[in-house]
Order: sequence, then structure tokens, then C-alpha cells
Amino acid sequence: MKRLMTAAMLFTLVAMFGTDTWAQSSAPPVRMAYLQSDIHHLALWVALEKGFFKVNGADVEVKGVFKAGPEIMTAFAAGELDMAYVGEAPSTTAVANKAAKVVVVSQVNTEGSALVVAKKKTNIKNLTDLQGKTVAVPGHSTVQDFLLRRALRGSGMALEQVNIIVLKPPEMIGALRIGQVDAFIAWEPYPSKADTMSVGRNLATSKEMWPGHPCCVLVSDRGFLDRHPETVVAVVKSHVQATEYIHRNPEDAVKIGIKYTGMDEATVRQAVQNVTYTYELSLQGEKEYVQFLSELGYIRLDNPDGFVDQFINPDILKGILSQ
Amino acid sequence: MALSLEISGLKKVYPSVAPDDNVQVFDRIDCIVEKGQFLTIVGPSGCGKTTLLRMIAGLEEVTSGEIRLDGERLNGCNEKVGMVFQEYALFPWRKLLPNIEVGLEIKGVPAKERRAEAMEYVRAFGLEGFENKYPKELSGGMKQRVAIARTLIANPQIVLMDEPFGSLDSQTRNTMQNFLLKIWTERKDTVLFVTHNVDEAVYLSDRIAVLSPRPTKILKVFDVNLDRPRDRTSREANRLRREILALLEHSEQYPCQ
Amino acid sequence: MSWKRLLPPVVLLLVWQGLSASGVIPEYKLPSPVAVAAGLLDLIRTGMPPGHRLHVHIYYSVQRVLWGYALALLAAIPLGIFMGWSRTLRNLMEPLVEMIRPVPPLAWIPLAILWFGIGGKSAAFIIFLGAFFPILLNTVSGVRSIDPVLIEAARVLNAGRRFIFLKVLVPGSVPSILTGMRIGIGIGWMTLVAAEFTGVKQGYGLGYMIMTARDIQRSDEIIAGMMVIGLIGLGIDACLRLAEQHLVKWR
Repeated sequence: MKRLMTAAMLFTLVAMFGTDTWAQSSAPPVRMAYLQSDIHHLALWVALEKGFFKVNGADVEVKGVFKAGPEIMTAFAAGELDMAYVGEAPSTTAVANKAAKVVVVSQVNTEGSALVVAKKKTNIKNLTDLQGKTVAVPGHSTVQDFLLRRALRGSGMALEQVNIIVLKPPEMIGALRIGQVDAFIAWEPYPSKADTMSVGRNLATSKEMWPGHPCCVLVSDRGFLDRHPETVVAVVKSHVQATEYIHRNPEDAVKIGIKYTGMDEATVRQAVQNVTYTYELSLQGEKEYVQFLSELGYIRLDNPDGFVDQFINPDILKGILSQ
Repeated sequence: MALSLEISGLKKVYPSVAPDDNVQVFDRIDCIVEKGQFLTIVGPSGCGKTTLLRMIAGLEEVTSGEIRLDGERLNGCNEKVGMVFQEYALFPWRKLLPNIEVGLEIKGVPAKERRAEAMEYVRAFGLEGFENKYPKELSGGMKQRVAIARTLIANPQIVLMDEPFGSLDSQTRNTMQNFLLKIWTERKDTVLFVTHNVDEAVYLSDRIAVLSPRPTKILKVFDVNLDRPRDRTSREANRLRREILALLEHSEQYPCQ
Repeated sequence: MSWKRLLPPVVLLLVWQGLSASGVIPEYKLPSPVAVAAGLLDLIRTGMPPGHRLHVHIYYSVQRVLWGYALALLAAIPLGIFMGWSRTLRNLMEPLVEMIRPVPPLAWIPLAILWFGIGGKSAAFIIFLGAFFPILLNTVSGVRSIDPVLIEAARVLNAGRRFIFLKVLVPGSVPSILTGMRIGIGIGWMTLVAAEFTGVKQGYGLGYMIMTARDIQRSDEIIAGMMVIGLIGLGIDACLRLAEQHLVKWR
């Protein structure tokens, strides 16, 4: 009886404190998200496939695959995510409108979107021909929405002259094919897919609409960063490594891209070529976002520069690159 | 005397699943109602009095036999046959006046004429002041007066009445009986009246037909030779009543199914 | 409306404001009533998306609902009266109706877009589906609940089919039809928001407005929009109830 009691006490002690120690010694799981079939987020997929996260000591769990940036920001607001690959426009909007508290810790890519019109039977030759036509965007205040409006403004058109509707990118090609929309703007590989399917062709690439524009960023929930800075560092480090891997091993990167988008090789190859994968942050680019979003009325900031300083945290990246 | 309603060899059978199980309501009914006459049918409950009226009105099918009105064979609903229901059957969504007008409306009489005629009935039947009331606002007696007006305004050749005062309390009932007699005396319609109340039958009718339980036959037809206006409590009235009641009791040895 | 009826919502608002102001409910999870009121002002003055103001959204949404609803009335009431009257037709149609009815209108969205394209027509179609069935079923039951003796009274007065149809069946089933209409517009208005998620070309519509507010993470405007929708729905219902009371005085 005595032996049984001692064993039970020992077991209880180990259970109470032993697991605690275990929990402290292993990294907390990082709940991450990315956009469905968004080739911009290739670095994340590479890092997952090649085990970079594990090597750097981060336990990454893909909590969700979303259809557009605003949805990812809503998930942050609900406390469902710790870090994510997401567009700079939706994340800026969410933070400026005080819905989510995230910071940008690294760039993910620049460029890599396109405005697509029907391949056949269309008389849309340039942007001004879009007057009175219907264009699909993945959501309001997405990078693509932003690009489109910026390009229209640049062509001297008033934004109300074009009918902008929201469709999820998987629906866009079908809608274009049967003529429900006259054009769509989406992230790669959807423009490339429209091309390889002979349904659409690029009217303008994002490169032409805003050269070198920052597109997707890697963000972290502020509270998560405060509580687990070393984990965030580990994730950013993996991201940097994965980005460089894409440049050094393009063939393997394409293979991974095929796996995660489920699209054919020709499409993915073409798509990857249209994207510039980089981790270099651009404060200037963010300031442009803030300014235009304010002009559109999506956000209202008393101190735009102060906002940008708060929103982008370049220190983590600096720390990693200096090593 | 000119014949009005002639019923010969009337049979009514409700078919059921098992052929032997058919419900035979009437065996052979032969009956004649003469013009301007008030004939009442009395009989035990459930013995087809209402079914008989409904067959004449055209609401039920005749299995075999003939019904003739002034020599013409009746087949289905006919504007020559009018019917007053026990439940009044007024259209609840119509006010009093439009309810009376219905028969004329169906005939296509223009609105002004309809209104004028209906108003005459309103005055004759003591319904003034209630023209714009809905049926739900009327008493039982008033509703039945409206129902009778609705039937009479269409000028039918025979008026069927299916226990019209059955839902009323005895005081109102008496009032309505007098009311009915007053109108009938003026207009001399041919009336076929159904009731299970022998008193009522004796008070109102020229002739009384007594029905048997099912399969129904006419047991006997009584001539009521009492002078009008009638005394409910006179010796002759009592004697007749006793005779009819005895006949009914005797026949109830074989109660209806 | 007595003052007492307003009490629960007012108390709710005060409690909500208290919880928000004290920080028990964080602002980003649920904006305070004051924030929602400010959001409503934004919707009225600036609009969402910016430049698309609230009253225009209301105009387009109401239009769509009226179209879908009108079509539902035109289809469901005559069909309902025929079905109520004819057992043969009822037996024929009932299996079909009972199969389609449980399918939520929203499930029709992909088909609607395929048939009517993106825009107001598919939204109106979804609303039509939502409103159609309550109107149909209530009409059928309205006809069937007419006391048969009324029809017999009409027949005895030598009424023809047309008279019975127009002057007995229709007025007799009006109370049930009105109930069905009230339920129908309620459901129709409710499906509006989701129906407009199918995408509306002009960029106007209360559902579209809320969807945009969601994209831009303006939950104060989302809730303000929801309240507008709720209030309009309430108003419509109140109007129909008044009409009901007036038309069915004879009950």
C-alpha cells in the first residue's frame, strides 16, 4: 500500500511539473496562414517542404488557407493567427482601422499581379477602354484593388467609371470565359493560368502599373511578437533562407509551386517568372500605400508617418541579415 | 294543382371498398311537393334528411331515380332551387348588404339595381342600420334572416331549408318561425323544410313527411289541416304531435347505423 | 407602441455601452454603440465603399427585393389557389415543392450566377426563391381552410367556376395569403444580404456595402449596416401588419 501511494505521488508530481518543463523547453506552435494558390507565397511553401522552420526551431502550423487578404486580417482580429503571408494593402487597412494588431517583419515579394482581359472577342486595348466595363478584384483594399485604382487614376480616369466587383480568384477565370466580367486583376498564377488556358491575356502587368511595387509581406501579431520574439526571428530567418533558395534552385522551387497550387508546370513556370521574390523592406512603398488608401477613404490616419514607423519593424530582418 | 317538385324512386348509395358494405341511404323515395306548399320532413338523426335536400340542391349525386321541378329534370345546381343552411353560410368577408346581393350578382344584375332590391329585403326583414356590418357582428337570428334574404332575392322556384333554426336558442327560434311564416304567407314560395323538431314541423307545415331510419323510406305523410295562425298548444296540434312522435319511436326499434 | 416595448432594446444598448466603455468588451471585437452610431454617420455621409452612400445602397437593395418579391407573388398566389382547389394538381405538385423547399436559397447562388450572370438579376432570383414558398404554402392552406359550406352556398346560387374562384376562394384565402406575404417578405429581405454577396455590378446594395466594410475591417460600419437592414425589415413587417389589420377586418 505504501509503495502504491509513493508511486501515485511521484506520478502526480511528474505530471504537474514535468509537462510544464517540457512545454517551456519546446517552441510554441506558430499558427500561420497564406493565400490560396498565391505564387507570391512560394517562400513559405519552400520553407515548409525543405524543413527550414524545424531547423531554425520554429513549430509552424498552417492554420488556414484563405481566399483573399481581408479574410486573413479578420482571422488575426479574431485571434486565430500568429503570423501570416498577406498583402500589404489589406494589412495596412486592418491595422489603420484598428481591427488587427500586426507588424510587418519582412517583405515577401514585389510585383507579380496582372490585369487580364479576354483573349478573343474583346475590344479592350488599353486601360481607358475599361470605361463602363466590369472588372473583378479579389476584394476591396487588396493589393490588386489598389493597383487597379492606381492605374486607372494614372490614366486620368475617374474610379466610378469602371464597375469593380469582388470575386475570389478561383472564380475569376470562369467568369471571364463566359463574359460575366470584362477583365480581372489577380495575383499569379491566375493571370498565367488564364493565358495557358487561352481564356485571357495580360492587358497590363503590375510591373507596368507600378514598377517595383511592394506586394506581399510577412506579418506577425504584435502580442505574439512580444511574447515569443525568438520564434518570430526563427520564422523570418527561415523565410530569408527560403527566398534565397528560390533564387538558387528555381527548378525545385517550381516543383514546390506546382504542388501547392495544383496547377500545371507551364502555368507555374510562367507565373514564377513574373514575381520578384525579395525580403527587402520598403518604407517608401508603404508610405505610398498609406497615402493612396487615405485618399480612397479606406483609412483615416492622424499621423501617417508615425503609423508607418509603427507598422513596419525592420529590426528583426536587420538582425538576421547582419549575421 | 300544378306540380312543383316531384321525386320518384330516389336511391342514394355511398360506395365503399367492400362491395357488400355499401351504405344505402335511401331505398326508394317518392315524394311530391305541390306549388306554394310548405312540406316538412322529419326523421331521426342521421337518416339522410340533409342528404335528400342536398341531392335536390345538386350538391350530392343521385344514384338512381329522378327529381323533377315543374316537369324538368334536375341535374346539378340550378338557380331554380334555393337553399338555406343551418350554419347560415354567409360570406364573412362581405358586409350584410353585399351578402344579400350575391344571388343577383351571379345573375349579372347591375350594381344599382342589386343594391335597391337588397335594400328592400333589408327593410322587409327588419335589418335596417346593419347594412354595413360584417356577419361576425350579427346575432344568430339576424344572420339567418340575411341567409334567407340571400336565397329569396334570387327568386327560386323552391326553397330548401336544412334545419335553419337549429343553431338558435328557443326564444329566437320561435321569433324566426313567426318571421318565416309571415314572409311565406306573403310570397307563397314552395318550401321543403327539414327539422328533427316535431313541434316546429307541426307549427309551420302544410304537410309533414316522416322518414324511417336507414335504409330510409317515407313512413307516412301527414296533412296538417290546422288553421293559421296556429296555436302550438291546441288539442289538434298536440294530437298530431303525439302521433308523429309515436311513429318515430316505433321506427327507432331499428336505430340508424 | 407603448413605452414599455422600447425598454428592453434601450437597456441592452446601455449595458452594451457600459461593457464597451469599461473595456470588458474590446473595441476590435465588438464596437461600442457610440462607435456604431459614428459608423452609421460615416455610411450616410461618406459611404462604403467611399463615395457609395447609404441611401443609394438602400434604394438598390429595396429595388431588388421588390422585383424578387413581386415575381414571387405573381407566381405563388395563382399557383397556390389552383393547388388549394384541385386535389389532382396538389398531388402532382406537392412532391416537387417539398423537394425544392428545404434547399436554402443561398445554395442556388452558383446556378443563379450561371443563369443570370453576376448582378441584380441573380440577387432578385435568390430573393424570389426565399419568398416564393411561404406565400405558396400559405395560399394553399388558405384555400383549403375555407369552410366548404361557403362554396356550396355559392354553387346553390348557381355560381360558375369563375365566380367561385374570384369571389369566394380569393377573398376567403386573403388572411392566409397576407400571412404568407408577410413571412415571404421577411425571408426575402433576409436573403438579400447573402444574395448580394453574389456580386452586384453597379456596386450598390446593402449586402455589398457590408461585404466591403468587412474587407476594410470597419466592424462599426458592418454593425451599423446590419442595424439598417434590421430596421428596414421591421418597418416592412409593420406596414404589412397594418395592411393585414385593415383588409381582414371581417375576421
